[in-house]
Amino acid sequence: MLLLALACVMLGAACEWRRAAVAGAAPREPLLAVKPVPAGRVPQLQPRAGGLVPMPDGVPSAHASALTVLPSGELLVFWWAGARESAPDVSLYVARWAEGRWSAAQRVADRASLGRDLGFGVRRIGNPSVWTAPDGRVHVFLVATGLGGWAAGRVLQLASDDGARHFSVQRVLPLTPLANTSVLVRSNPVGLDDGGWLLPAYFELRNKYPLVVAFDAGGTPRWLSRIGRSTTALQPALLPVSGRELRAVMRDIGPSQRVQQAVSHDAGRHWEDLPALGIPNRDDSVAALRLANGGYVMLNNDTLPGGSPRQWLRLSTSADAQRWTPVLDVQRGVAGDEFSYPAVQQLGSQLHVTWTAQRRAIGHQVYDIAYAEGSP
Amino acid sequence: MSLPDLAWQAVHARLAWGVVAVALLLSWPLLRERRTRLAVAIVVMAAMWLPGPASPAWWLGLAFQQPSGLLAMLCAASAMRRLGGRADAPVLPVPLALGLALGGLVLYADAVGALSLGLYAWGFDPVQAPVAGLVLSVLALAAAVMGRAPWAAWAVLLALTLHAVARLPTGNLFDALLDPLLWLWAAWRSVAALRRRPAAAAASS
Repeated sequence: MLLLALACVMLGAACEWRRAAVAGAAPREPLLAVKPVPAGRVPQLQPRAGGLVPMPDGVPSAHASALTVLPSGELLVFWWAGARESAPDVSLYVARWAEGRWSAAQRVADRASLGRDLGFGVRRIGNPSVWTAPDGRVHVFLVATGLGGWAAGRVLQLASDDGARHFSVQRVLPLTPLANTSVLVRSNPVGLDDGGWLLPAYFELRNKYPLVVAFDAGGTPRWLSRIGRSTTALQPALLPVSGRELRAVMRDIGPSQRVQQAVSHDAGRHWEDLPALGIPNRDDSVAALRLANGGYVMLNNDTLPGGSPRQWLRLSTSADAQRWTPVLDVQRGVAGDEFSYPAVQQLGSQLHVTWTAQRRAIGHQVYDIAYAEGSP
Repeated sequence: MSLPDLAWQAVHARLAWGVVAVALLLSWPLLRERRTRLAVAIVVMAAMWLPGPASPAWWLGLAFQQPSGLLAMLCAASAMRRLGGRADAPVLPVPLALGLALGGLVLYADAVGALSLGLYAWGFDPVQAPVAGLVLSVLALAAAVMGRAPWAAWAVLLALTLHAVARLPTGNLFDALLDPLLWLWAAWRSVAALRRRPAAAAASS
């Protein structure tokens, strides 16, 4: 028995030693992938075209879109749709934007297909987050719950090697020790200079706090880190400012009713909370993006006097990701309307924005991006 | 992070949930006959391999994902002892139960945001977590050799070996040693032991 016990210890030590040797050979900790641009540039946006993404036939409810661009230049939108939120038939869909129009929606995954791949059941399908890696592989991070509501959420990682036509489940991301429940995703990742990326996520069982998961270029999780110490901020959207500086803007469920923010000075490893921005937020999801040629955009809901939450979807711009100016109304409805859960992506010199339109479809608006003459 | 393959996780989940279910059923006092116990164990283990929702593992995975390696090993120890007719002492000793209950309290307080220590993330650390696992393995080895709670010592050692070799169940050191069901078991065992101590002290005085 002594020999057997010793063998166990030696075997474990040998396996860990081998892994440590491989990890030790890894290059330096990556920085954020940001193209240097002149500081102080503020984008100007001109509306071009808009409409709705075609829904699957006979499906009445839609929510939570996510956008990504393939290496071919094709824009994809992912969202979930079904009879209603949490209904058994809710599935993840994708549509393709090419030559100024959307393709028909294609089903990516549903409860049955996920259960088959995982070997255990999935109760609800929720928010997707999407990333196209430099090697062209499309990674979808999808909320799929266990027993319970959204607080029982887990994050599945799916990947496609054929331009998002077929996906396979890679893993359930291990993110909490509580039967791996209560972590969800909402916004898209940002890239690292070694081909990896940072996925924003959040915990939401009573306390809400944001976190970030780092991946290597092959799509394997590297580490995870909590964003700040707040317990009233969730659904972080990440804004790379430099190779090391990363900002997170977040949905607020606290008393401030303002967009929450945090900053990291070591490419997402460690974070400090910052005072809330001046931008209103009453428990609404935000989206944000650093533009390729300088400047930042953020989408958030605001409330009109006597109105209802989420009836007004606004777009703000910034030169430095710190001072924001509202510049456009993406949607301004009447009380009871809902234009929520925005997503944003740049495609060439155009900005594409999608959102949940009345919980019945996904709205879409294209803007031309320009910069004022004489700006740096 | 060094994570297990999804296919291996599925195999581990069916085996581990099978062992946990067998241990629970064999603790039922009405199952006294050895052959009946063996038959129950075989049927339960086989049921875990039924396809899709017909398998209890499908529903257990939906609710709890996978049991920790330590829960599976402790349940295996319990089931083996009951099948061998040697269920004389609890398989989870009080010192280990206390350690799991207190450690779990801090880990879960951190996980729900009441603390901000980043403990679960530390369980993936490529250097510190393996060193901690190795130290715990050596302690378990010593306990097993010295005959102190040998079943539990072997359970800890095998759970850590499973984690080190195959990264099961999740790749995180904490998931090898703890899960919410094991924490409940450890907390119940600790509370029961602490309640018995004053009673035993009063009886002896």
